[in-house]
This record gives sequence, C-alpha cells and structure tokens, in this order.
Amino acid sequence: MQQLLRIFFTNGSFFTFVALQLLSLYCIISFNSPQKAIAAETWSIRAGSVRSATETARSYLDLEQENEALRQEVARLRQQSPESLYATERIVDSFRDETFVQRYNFLTAHVVNRSPYRPNNTLIIDRGKNLDVRPGQGIVSPTGIVGIVDQVTGNHARVLSVLHQSIRISAGLASGAFGTLRWDGRDPRYVTVTDLADYIEVQAGDTIFSTGYSNVFPTHQVIGFVVDSEVQPGTGSQNLTVALSNKPVEESNVFVVQDLFKDELSDLATE
Amino acid sequence: MGGSDPISNVVRFVLLLFVQVILFRQVSLGLGGAASLAIIVSPLFIALLPLRTPLPLVVVFSFLLGFGTDLFYESLGVHMAAATFTGYARQFVLRLLEPRDGFKVKASPEGRDLGFSWWMKYVGMMLGVYLIWYFSMEAFSPVFWRSIALKTVVSLPVSWVVCMVFVTLLRPRI
Repeated sequence: MQQLLRIFFTNGSFFTFVALQLLSLYCIISFNSPQKAIAAETWSIRAGSVRSATETARSYLDLEQENEALRQEVARLRQQSPESLYATERIVDSFRDETFVQRYNFLTAHVVNRSPYRPNNTLIIDRGKNLDVRPGQGIVSPTGIVGIVDQVTGNHARVLSVLHQSIRISAGLASGAFGTLRWDGRDPRYVTVTDLADYIEVQAGDTIFSTGYSNVFPTHQVIGFVVDSEVQPGTGSQNLTVALSNKPVEESNVFVVQDLFKDELSDLATE
Repeated sequence: MGGSDPISNVVRFVLLLFVQVILFRQVSLGLGGAASLAIIVSPLFIALLPLRTPLPLVVVFSFLLGFGTDLFYESLGVHMAAATFTGYARQFVLRLLEPRDGFKVKASPEGRDLGFSWWMKYVGMMLGVYLIWYFSMEAFSPVFWRSIALKTVVSLPVSWVVCMVFVTLLRPRI
C-alpha cells in the first residue's frame, strides 16, 4: 500500500494528467457534435471486435463445461459404434423333419478373451445365459473340440479348454471302444485317452471321435488321431497318445453345442 | 505581471486568456472559419509558470487555462485536453532543454539567465506540443492526419512569432 502511494506521489503529474485528459475527452465527446459523431462511428466500428474479443474470453472461461459436454457426446457416440454393440442375433442350424427330431443346436460364438497359456486354460465366449448357454455344454470348432462351458453370465460364458487338466471327455474309436480323454498339461498338441481295454487293436493314425455319451459333444465329432499306444501293465488298459485335429489355443470362431435331450437323458441316468 | 509570484501568475493567466479569446480568436474567425491558421498564445502561461511549481499543480493550472479558453471558444474539452497535455509535457521539454549547470530553481524559467535562443526553442516546443494536440483533438481521428499536420505547420510559425513578441515584451521582468 505504502509502495502504491509512493508510486502515486512520485508520478503525481502523470496521474493528474491522465485524469484530466480523460475528463477532457469526456467533455469533447459530450459537448462537441463533430467529435461526438466521430466517436460514435468509431465505437460502432470497434464494438464488433470488442464484442468478439469478450466473447472469446468468455468462451475460454466456459472451456471446462464445454469439455464435459464434448466428453458426454463422445461417450454417447462410442456407445453407438459397432464395437460397443452385442450382437444378439443367432444363427441356429436346426430344421424340422418328420423323420428326425432336432437333438443338437449349434450356436455361433466368438472367443472374446482367453487365459494366458498355462496348464489350466480357460477362455471366454460372447454367448451367455440369455441365449440358453448353460454350464456343461460343449464348445466345438469346425475342425475339433474346444472345451466345455464352466460358468455363465447373462451375455458371456467361461469355457474350460480341452487343454485344462480337470477336463474329462468321453472319446472312442470308430469300432465303438471308448475311454476317457484328458490332458496332462504339457504339450498342447497332444492329449491322452485312458481306460481303453488293452486287447483292443489300435493302429497309429486311427481317428478318435467323441462318443456323445456325456451329452456334451455330438456323437462322431472328430477329436484327433492316434499317434501312439501304450499298454499299462497290471491294469488291463492302454493309454493312447492322440494328436488333436485342431489347435484349441488358437480357435476364435466356435460353436456352442446345446443338447436338447440333456435334461431327459440326465434324468434317466440318475434314476 | 513579469514576476514569479502568485499574483503575477494570476495576472498572466487572465491577460493571456483574454488576449487569446478576444483578440486572436477573431483572427481565425475573420479568416472564414475554414482557415488552417490559428494563433495560440495561451500556452505561454504554462511555459511561464515558476520552475518550482509542483508538477501535478502545473497540470491542474494548465487544465484550468484550457477550461477558460474552451468557455469562450465554445468547444468544451478541446483546449482542455491540449493544455493538460502541454502542462504534463512541460517537465520533459524543460529536462530536454536543461542548461549544463541546471536551472536556478528559485524562480521561473528566467529570461535573465537564459538567452533568447533558449526561449525560442522552449516556446516553440511548447507551442508545437500544444498545437499538435489541439488540432488532433479538434479533428478527433487519425484519419485526418493530413489536415492536422497542415494546420500545425501553418499555425506554428505565426503563433511562435506572436509568442516571442510577448516574451520579448515581458522578458526583462519575468
């Protein structure tokens, strides 16, 4: 304050001059018609730019609200973009016939997420409870099996991959002999079929099919091909090493297998 | 009326004001009003204020002089602005023209220890400042800079001569 006063006193003549000059200008504009006209004209010319300058300043102060409004607009538009949509259309491959009754529905699905490769692999598909996906339904690809549905939410399902150590699938040969398919958690190209009677003749290259006994996969879905067989001494069974016909860790377009007879069959099994 | 005491200054104020508005205003009016010539002597009052006058007071006195002139010129504000500006500019003109050993602070810009050529320069600059500002305020737009310059160029020598006559008459006793 003191400094301010000192500035005022040392520049007293300047402030007096400015004040009196402004007063003079006011008098000039107020009491002289030519100058008044000039001032009015100048003002009308300059007013536009002055107004636009103040408008710029004011809109700058509004930037925060503007930004928020734009962000809301972006969010709204992103909601409309195709990536944000969940396709509910389904292509159900079924038909009505006098001779045959539909047993399996195939529901297209995409793999939208998968666990990093490890001994227990899982993956997520974009089909869920809303489309009647239930735990226990099988997932197949055009060339082999992929896994079994484990948990279901409204729009998505978690699938235990065939490359999961706790998976058990009923698999057999064309002859009808069958065993249990499992994975030992090592090589993703090979699975093992156990509990196959040791007297059954198996050649390398024989095809392994799903049996359909567990109501998960349709009967005669190709799983893979026998690479090697090994009799387990003392158990009366042999183990088959099977090369998978597909690559479960790379599948992205899959089908959900919905067994329409599942309830009926499981009722019988428990009785 | 030649001294640096308050009475002399008041006398100069009244005298110069009346000479200006009664005598020299008729000159410009007599030339038809459209003439570029204006004989201005009132700034001489500002120039002859004592050196030790506080600077804000110089500005205030100049303003009063301009106000008085405007009352008779029926152009309230124009002479006010010019005189105020001249009063403010006086300190810079004096600083510019300061002799090597400085002014004798006890009195006005003194004719006695300052030569005629110094007075010529001093009055000329004061008049120039006044006239430029006066004609600018009269035109009130930089668009008319040609007319402002013409009027200044025409009026300055005449006013200068008249002012120097006054200074010569008054100088020995200022």
